[in-house]
Amino acid sequence: MFLQLLANGLVTGAVYAIAAVGVSLVYGILRIVHFAYGDLMTFGAFVAVTCDTTLGAGMVAATAAAMIATAALSVGLDFALWRPLRARRANFMSLFLASIGLALVLRQAIFLVWGPQPRSFDVDPFKVYTLGSVRLSGAQAIAIVVAVVAIALVGLLLSSTTLGRTMRAVADDRALAAVAGIDTGRVVLATWVLSGLLAALAGVLAGLVQSTFDPNFGFTLLLPVFAAVVLGGIGNPYGALAGGFLLGIVTELSTWDSLGGGVDPVYKPVVAFAVLIVVLLARPQGLLGRARLV
Amino acid sequence: MSVLTSGEFWAFVGVVAGIYTILTLGLQIEFGYAGLLNFGHVAFMAIGSYTMAILVVKSGWSMWLAAPAAVVASAAGGVILGLATLRLRADYFAIVTIALSEIVRYIATNEDRLTGGSQGTINLAGAEEASDYNGEWQRFQDWFQGALHLGSKDVAMLVLVWAVALALTALVALSIRTPWGRVLRAIREDEDATRSLGKNVFAYKLQALALGSALAGIAGLFYAWQFAFFSPADFAPLLTFFAWMILILGGVGRAWAVPVGALVFGVIFAGTRFFEFAPFTWFDSAERAYLRLMVIGLVLIGLILFRPQGLLGKREELVLE
Amino acid sequence: MTNLLEVRDVVRSFGGVRAVDRASLDVGAGSITSLIGPNGAGKSTLFNIVSGFLRADEGTVSFEGRRIDRLPPHRIAQSGLVRTFQTARALGRMTVLDNVTLAAPRQPGERLLRNVTRSRATRLRERDVRTRAHELLALVRLDGHAHEFAATLSGGQRKLLDFARVLMTEPRLVLLDEPMAGVNPVLRGELLEHVVALRESHGVTVLLVEHDLEVVMGVSDQVVVMSDGAVIATGPPDGVRSDARVVDAYLGVEA
Repeated sequence: MFLQLLANGLVTGAVYAIAAVGVSLVYGILRIVHFAYGDLMTFGAFVAVTCDTTLGAGMVAATAAAMIATAALSVGLDFALWRPLRARRANFMSLFLASIGLALVLRQAIFLVWGPQPRSFDVDPFKVYTLGSVRLSGAQAIAIVVAVVAIALVGLLLSSTTLGRTMRAVADDRALAAVAGIDTGRVVLATWVLSGLLAALAGVLAGLVQSTFDPNFGFTLLLPVFAAVVLGGIGNPYGALAGGFLLGIVTELSTWDSLGGGVDPVYKPVVAFAVLIVVLLARPQGLLGRARLV
Repeated sequence: MSVLTSGEFWAFVGVVAGIYTILTLGLQIEFGYAGLLNFGHVAFMAIGSYTMAILVVKSGWSMWLAAPAAVVASAAGGVILGLATLRLRADYFAIVTIALSEIVRYIATNEDRLTGGSQGTINLAGAEEASDYNGEWQRFQDWFQGALHLGSKDVAMLVLVWAVALALTALVALSIRTPWGRVLRAIREDEDATRSLGKNVFAYKLQALALGSALAGIAGLFYAWQFAFFSPADFAPLLTFFAWMILILGGVGRAWAVPVGALVFGVIFAGTRFFEFAPFTWFDSAERAYLRLMVIGLVLIGLILFRPQGLLGKREELVLE
Repeated sequence: MTNLLEVRDVVRSFGGVRAVDRASLDVGAGSITSLIGPNGAGKSTLFNIVSGFLRADEGTVSFEGRRIDRLPPHRIAQSGLVRTFQTARALGRMTVLDNVTLAAPRQPGERLLRNVTRSRATRLRERDVRTRAHELLALVRLDGHAHEFAATLSGGQRKLLDFARVLMTEPRLVLLDEPMAGVNPVLRGELLEHVVALRESHGVTVLLVEHDLEVVMGVSDQVVVMSDGAVIATGPPDGVRSDARVVDAYLGVEA
């Protein structure tokens, strides 16, 4: 039972982790707490499901299309909204509130275009992989594999490429990076593209694992993702990865009945929030965040 | 079009605007005056509504005792929130407050025996009986209507809500002009400078949260009375975002801006429900619901971009820049 | 001369670095003490510790004979030890007058419920506070700006506002964190007069951090020199100036 829960936790954690990296990059580099990120995930999932079921393109093509579409939308939104806000030197509050407005707009647009009925991907629901005492559905197996590959690629990008290092430098210290002559325009573009790609991927994987999803599901996922980001220290993509997996695993394991009966599965999201609050009580800067001085 | 001229319709819009005024006044104290980014505000409205309903239905309290108790419960909730989170930096605080309000909603949804669960207060007395907490209030409202010779129940409620809303607005406006209010505003400007002048910043922030949450609790009471039945889904984060929108629409930092913002919001939100002309006629009613929310989102973005001081705010006093 | 402030063997580290390394100093009542040293010497950290904004890892701080090193910053300020910040923290969206009246201690109106019954005592106190605020603003020649938002003041004017605010708190010891930083030469003289006047006219003891050595030497009764977190010299200005260790610490550093 424990191993099964652990495996489930890895799957959930993988989805959280991918989204958390996207959110963390956007915050670290652009100082935006992206409240509409969940709806970008939803958008990716819905584009994919349309390509997969309506157009019969198959999961791989559908996911690719979704990722491209979401990245494009992300960049488009930068021109339409974030750029004008940057020009006005909007502060954290304004950006946060703008992203809330954006979330509203995006979600309603998705409702308008796709309607409220839940969707499913065209995968075999009965395919099961067995590893010892652990059973993984086809969807879960795909999710883990894809997530690991994606995370490895993103990790490589951030640590070994010039672009990646530049992004981390800007996330770490914007003013210093500007002084060092880094082309922040390129970095901003790269951030929106990458975070858009990751949002779509996370959305598709989440949709796969959940088996059915509706236009609200991205936002429902977003809060645990935020929890993961804050847990890992906001603006720190590696922290976000760790936070995502940690929350996924803890959330699933909390239902284990050897833990004094276990938490009612219905309360799983609450566990994520509770973990966040408890950690922050002990360490207000998050697990990997830096303490702030006066 | 006939609906738009119906007094009943506008009385309804007015009542909702009144409830939102009280709710947003709480946010005005917390953010407009003290600078606290509380995004879980709706949770305290829920605590107000549920505490009153539970005390009346399950514990047999008189509504006139349950109501103040509910407000105290909301205020206490605010204090607990503060104790847990005020040490956090602003962005973490915002996110954690949303998480906490969702925890409240989850508990309300899943603790069936306590709250009636996802089916709402109709379930409070158990699966067999349809429960009603509203009896005493209805009797009071009828008496009020008779005493003032008002035309209908809706008008009675309208007058009651707005009497309370305006009184509270006046109180809030007065309170910010006191030395107490001055400390709050100083905290919003610069916490450390305020501490260095000998003010206990933490205590003042807790007071702001307690008062703001109490106001949310009062809004919750009127919500419960107006609708006679509610469920956890009524207290989703969307309501907190509406309150924020009203706050910005009216003008952050000015008490009297809140009722103005709430009325404008009420008209935009409810009024568009009944526009019988193009382009609205292209959509069916379900789609119009989505459109309405989209408009709200666009208005919020527009405000941030083009008029962050809101309708009544002044640019020099801009809190959002 | 009794010691108003006693700092004993204070240690504070960040990461593995000792920002303050067993620093000790005494400030006598009615004196002006300057704390100098190259950048990174630990002066600001020590200031933050004395005023309660940072906790020391080891060591004690006593004010008027009582330990204050475990107290929160607002309680330390209430007991008469008040600090300014390097960048004058004017409360921009409040009026100049409000900035100063805020600082007055013992205001019953600051408790919300006291405003419900506005007793005569409360109203009188508020009137006195306003009068005193105008006096202090006149002292720093800002009285004409009393009803403008503090954000409209220039950098130098904000420093003057800082002074008025600090005086309003009725302090016994004032910690001035680089009061001359970023101030134009014309205004410097005026500010310096106010620093000296703190002791002369108001009987307030002063501890200041300052980089301008001329200012320091001219005005101080005592100079404390820090380098690399430690206090390397203490004494009257002339003695310290010729101390070999001090010269050493400042070698290659712009004064």
